[in-house]
Amino acid sequence: MSYVSLENSESFLKCFEVIAEDKSCIVSDSVLYFSGKTGKGFITAAGIHTGIEVLALNVSMLTDDLTIRFQPSPDASSYILHFDEIEIPAKGDNELPVNNLSGGEKSHSAVSIAGAGRGKTIVYPRERVIRSLVVRVRKNSLDDLIKDFDAGTIGAVLDSPEGPASLTWPITFKYRLLLNDFMNEIVQHPFRELFTIRNVSMLMEYLLQQFFVMQKLAAEGNGLSSQDTRSLSRVEQHLCLHYKKEFPGIEKLSRISAMSPTSLKTKFKRYYGETLFGYYQKNKLEHARKLLDSKIPVKVVATEIGYSNPSHFTLAFKKEYGFSPWHYLNPH
Amino acid sequence: MKFQDPDQEKPIKALQVFSLPVGLRAATLKATVDRQEIPLPDFHEEGYTISFINFKGDVRIGTGHRPGDKEQTASPGLGLICAAGRPMSFRTGASVPFAALVLFVPKGWVPLFLGANTPFRKLEQQLEEGAIITCRLGRRQLSQLSSALNVPGEKASVALGEKAPAASGDKAIAVLDLQNSALALLEYFLCNRHRSLLGVSPTSDIENEDDLSLIREVESYISEYYCSDTFTVDSILKKTYTSYHRLNFLFKSIHGMTISEYIRNKRIEKSKEMIADNVKSISQIAYEIGYSSISNYILAFKKVYQITPGKYKKQIDSLA
Repeated sequence: MSYVSLENSESFLKCFEVIAEDKSCIVSDSVLYFSGKTGKGFITAAGIHTGIEVLALNVSMLTDDLTIRFQPSPDASSYILHFDEIEIPAKGDNELPVNNLSGGEKSHSAVSIAGAGRGKTIVYPRERVIRSLVVRVRKNSLDDLIKDFDAGTIGAVLDSPEGPASLTWPITFKYRLLLNDFMNEIVQHPFRELFTIRNVSMLMEYLLQQFFVMQKLAAEGNGLSSQDTRSLSRVEQHLCLHYKKEFPGIEKLSRISAMSPTSLKTKFKRYYGETLFGYYQKNKLEHARKLLDSKIPVKVVATEIGYSNPSHFTLAFKKEYGFSPWHYLNPH
Repeated sequence: MKFQDPDQEKPIKALQVFSLPVGLRAATLKATVDRQEIPLPDFHEEGYTISFINFKGDVRIGTGHRPGDKEQTASPGLGLICAAGRPMSFRTGASVPFAALVLFVPKGWVPLFLGANTPFRKLEQQLEEGAIITCRLGRRQLSQLSSALNVPGEKASVALGEKAPAASGDKAIAVLDLQNSALALLEYFLCNRHRSLLGVSPTSDIENEDDLSLIREVESYISEYYCSDTFTVDSILKKTYTSYHRLNFLFKSIHGMTISEYIRNKRIEKSKEMIADNVKSISQIAYEIGYSSISNYILAFKKVYQITPGKYKKQIDSLA
């Protein structure tokens, strides 16, 4: 098992040497590439010395678990955020995701924020597709931002000794899309630091917005068991992956989740703050927006994301964003 | 901070200044300006200012201290970078709707976030010497700019597809929104400049990288398939997601001819070679290079070489 300890900025870079030695990988230009025998993909660091340090992992099929440990620091002057997307490699299109996510301590798809005071250990399981950003951000740079936002709720929750060591929320399609884009571009990007900081900034916005929604939902009483949340995240993953197809229908989703349609509907709404179809539709349209950004015409985008009729797509787009795809492309 | 106007001695109200969490400062301005000079905020620090502007009407960029000296016309949808403290202002004659996002990059920020990039040093040098470097914004950037400028006042996060958060979080989210747009614009600007600093310079009046690569793609597609009888301009359009007019426009500005002329020339050139080989009959050649009727082929040949293929063949035969 690879084991990495992170105490200060330098150790972000040093950890590469540790992993590299352990797994016989290649390090070049502060990017660590897995050689193929021990896994595929890369790990890279960015933002060292800027107060927002980022470790990005884009790896699949590791032959061994990878552990990253932040040492507890007494002054506790930073937060550790991590955004993990961890999937079982796809086997077939129609197969239901296998239910063996019960890796105990191991990480699963989630976003989380923790105070650095108590330290933090993240275990990335082997034989998975992993996209993850680990961010260590100095408290003062984040606090200014969220003080106004939640009147110090996050800080208070994390600082109280009885409270949970970290706050964790489910990952949603927004994070997935962003992580995907990020990993595709980070290695060849000419301004890596700038690119990283922009993406981290966007992730933080998502996180704060999600926190706000989740906080409200939690206040209303959440009452979901860990089994529920696992089933729900399976449903969520299914909805995310199959955005090109028709909405799978409540019967199929309830089979995936092993819940009754009614309880699936209510619980999904409680966990993700969206209805099943609303979530599916939002994800779909986000994909559409990305395609529009890459200059693909509206007609083709509509077919690409599974609309048989472009005007249906236009209507759905307009309903979601308030302006038509055409207006999105021509803002003036 | 006050922004003095020489005429009215009072700051522009629509100008708002933000400190972004990431260490940049930003000023936004969105108003109909009806005065001589639109002042830029002075951040009183060493660094660079990057202004992204968009407007309707007539605006000039003044680089001298007084109105009138050293002016050039600005085009809408422009990004400009210069060393902070350098005299630069926007001047208008009449009242124009004007929108600007001015980003201030402190000197200390540069090595942290941009230092690893060597081409940027070149850019820095040019800036030290007092240059103003510009970059045209694309559609996506313009929409980003307008959403960034909407951020503080209205619940403009709608533009990002978000539900407007409740009041307590509004400001933090708004600032983050602004920061995200600002960073994205900055990234676009630098990446765009980065390419030209690396020496990838456009050869014609087409400035856009994407357009050039599109043309190259179409050219290679044509050279591969132009002899097939199922090959049409339509199939190119389908493959590249472009419209006929756009492709024609691009072709004209690079090759000086429309796309169908380009394809015809290629075919006729090929047929000329085949005639010179003197192996196949003219009708055979016509079918082989993708013409469905011989008279069409003869007409096309005549258009390019002012001679019919038959006569051309005779000429060659007589020479041989």
